[in-house]
Amino acid sequence: MGAERVEVKEKVLSANDQIAAELRRHLTAHKVFAINLISSPGSGKTTLLERTVDLLKPSLRLGVVAGDVQTRNDAERLERHGIPVQAIETGGGCHLNARQVEGVLESLDLAQTDLLFIENVGNLVCPSSFDLGESLKVVLMSVTEGEDKPLKYPAAFRRASVLVLTKVDLVPHLQFSMQLAVDNALSINPDLVVFSTSSFSGEGLETWSGWLSEQVSACKRDS
Amino acid sequence: MHEMSLALEIRSICERELAKLPETRITAVGVQVGAFSGVEVDSLQFCLEIVMSEGFDGVRCEIEREPGRAVCLNCDREFRVERAPFECPSCGALARGVSGGGGLQLSYMEVE
Repeated sequence: MGAERVEVKEKVLSANDQIAAELRRHLTAHKVFAINLISSPGSGKTTLLERTVDLLKPSLRLGVVAGDVQTRNDAERLERHGIPVQAIETGGGCHLNARQVEGVLESLDLAQTDLLFIENVGNLVCPSSFDLGESLKVVLMSVTEGEDKPLKYPAAFRRASVLVLTKVDLVPHLQFSMQLAVDNALSINPDLVVFSTSSFSGEGLETWSGWLSEQVSACKRDS
Repeated sequence: MHEMSLALEIRSICERELAKLPETRITAVGVQVGAFSGVEVDSLQFCLEIVMSEGFDGVRCEIEREPGRAVCLNCDREFRVERAPFECPSCGALARGVSGGGGLQLSYMEVE
C-alpha cells in the first residue's frame, strides 16, 4: 500500500488557543480588561507595574498574575502594593500558557477586578506565540536594549498592540535614538500605540496610566 | 526555546488524528512555519525528531516556511518578505507592516 497524504491544517497551538478563547469569554463576562506584558528580562516590567498600580489603585480595582521561571520575587514586590497577586512559577518554562493562567484565575475575584495585568516570563521570543485570553498584548523595550530590538524579535512587536519604552531617563547617557527605535517598531507593526516612560523619574507614567483607564472604561461600555 | 512544547503539541495532534484512521501508520508530517511566527525552524526540526521517536519512529518531518507579504508605501508593489527591514525590490522604499507569515500549523500527515 502506498503512502497517502491526509490534510490536517490544524494550528499547532489550537489546544492553548481553545483555553485562551474560554478565558477571554470569562474575562469579558466579568468586564475585566486584561493586558499581557511581554519583554526581555530586566526591561522593567515589574517596576513599571509597581508604579502603574500606585497611580491606578485609587480609581480602579486591580489584579496581577505574575509569571517567573523561578522564585515568587516579582509577585511579592507587587503584593506589597496592596493588590491581589497570583504567582505562576513555570519551573524552567520560558513562557506562560493559557492553562497556567486558567489555573490561577480561579483564585482571583474577577467580579471585583477592573484591570488585570498578566506579567509574562521575561523573554521576547516564546511568550508572543501563546494567547492567554488577554484583551491585548503590551511589549516593553528599555532604552538600554538597542534600537534594533523590534527587527531582531519581530513576532513580539507584531502581535502587540502597545509598545512601552522604559527607562527613558537614561537616554542622555546612551547612544540611543528614540526615533529610530520607534521607526523600527512601526515598520514591523504600524498600528502600535507607543508610550515613553521612566519608572525612575515618573516621566510618561500619567499618560500611560490614563490610557489604561480609558481602555477599562471602554471595556465596561462595550461588554 | 518553546520549540519543544510545539513539537509535543504536534505529536498529540498526530495521535488524535491517527486514532480516526485505524490500521495506518504515519510516515511523514508536514508543518508550515510562518516567517514571523517566532519559531526557529532548525530547532523545531530537532525537537520534532526527538518527540516523534517515541511512538512515531522513523517519521519524516517536512517543514515548509510561509513568507509574509508587504506593500510598498511608494510604488504599491506587493512583495514577499522573510525578514525585516521590508525593502521594496522595485524601488527600494520601505513598506510598513506585513500580513501573513505569523502562523504555525500541522498541514498534513502522510500515512500508509
